[in-house]
Amino acid sequence: MGSIRSTYEDDPDMLEIVREFASELPARVAKIEAQLEAGALRDLQTLAHQLKGAGGGYGFPQITEFAASLESALKQGADDAVVKDRANALCALLRAVAVPEQK
Amino acid sequence: MNPEVPNPNRVLVIDDSESIHKLVIARLRPENIEVIGEIDGERGIERAVADQPDLILLDIGLPNVDGFEVCRRLKEHPATRGIPVIFLTGTADTESKVRGLDLGAVDYVTKPFDQVELRARVRAALRAKRLQDILEQQSHLDGLTGLWNRRYLDQRLESELNVARRYGRPLSLVLVDVDHFKRVNDDYGHLFGDIVLQGIAEGLRAYARRSDIVARYGGEEFAILLTDTNLRSAMYVSERLRSSAEGRHFEARTEVVSVTASFGVACTEHLAAELTPEALLKASDLALYASKDAGRNCVHLYRSGELILSTGNPGALGDDENETS
Repeated sequence: MGSIRSTYEDDPDMLEIVREFASELPARVAKIEAQLEAGALRDLQTLAHQLKGAGGGYGFPQITEFAASLESALKQGADDAVVKDRANALCALLRAVAVPEQK
Repeated sequence: MNPEVPNPNRVLVIDDSESIHKLVIARLRPENIEVIGEIDGERGIERAVADQPDLILLDIGLPNVDGFEVCRRLKEHPATRGIPVIFLTGTADTESKVRGLDLGAVDYVTKPFDQVELRARVRAALRAKRLQDILEQQSHLDGLTGLWNRRYLDQRLESELNVARRYGRPLSLVLVDVDHFKRVNDDYGHLFGDIVLQGIAEGLRAYARRSDIVARYGGEEFAILLTDTNLRSAMYVSERLRSSAEGRHFEARTEVVSVTASFGVACTEHLAAELTPEALLKASDLALYASKDAGRNCVHLYRSGELILSTGNPGALGDDENETS
């Protein structure tokens, strides 16, 4: 784990909040999995929408990209299999995010 | 609360994601802006009314009340109508952009946002807001004296009376009229009359308290609204203003001219009538006329129908009045 790093790690204004954001991601993964399991697709869409909006801002453009793809599948009412695939892809990505070291 | 320089800028973020709040705070840090936040539309509106931010960054996908509805209500509410709104949202379709702008937003930025661009857009919105504030303030100022004008005083009288009624706080109104002003104009000319009005205005502003709202009410008449002030305190302020006017001298070519003014004071705690702007103005006006009748250069107080001379009579209200401030 830890292969995906924020592009803003070296920005002193950002380091602290990037650390916070990255360290909260496992909890978000758990939430996505639970929502998927429970079929709470509206909540899942909200979460995907939030990750889409925040990811790039924290220096993780891939999070924005993957979350957007999940959001659009949910918006269009895509097949469960598609939703599940995209949710799993997003979760895998989030798990791979590195929490930057304090400097 | 007389015209003065604006406070540092304050930006309200209404977004259901805390991550966005933190991000905006970090990204606006170089702008020296105070950022406040709410995660819910209803609370966001309340906060905007209470804290009067200079700019609102508004998300669309909010729980309960969505951002469009929040914007509509902000633009409808008199207390928030003038605050610029920038949509800051992950919703990027043209229809939403058009809808947001047509609801009265000044700009529309999509998330994830570019920090440099967001700062530039925030600066642009704040610049426009500052100009709008200046225009608004100027439309409330009297051109000759720089005091508030009658329109502004009438507005404030109305809103301060609401506050006074709701919280049971006293509100006093002082009317001031320059004595024999017509004679001054006739004897020394209108330009000199203007100088006198400016001098009297300067004295009123200098000797009033910071919280007093000093206005030119028309011609040679001034009005001062004293919030949270009972009749006794209003009397002290008025006597101080009266002697400041009396002590002022104006040079007209070879002559030194001194001018006096008459004062009428009324307070919401001692009105015989219902608490309306008209009733308070009428009571102050009656007291002002009593001062004119008594020979001018003095202060009269209206107390529940009774007109009391306070000049040279510091015990006019008695010593044992059970008053709070």
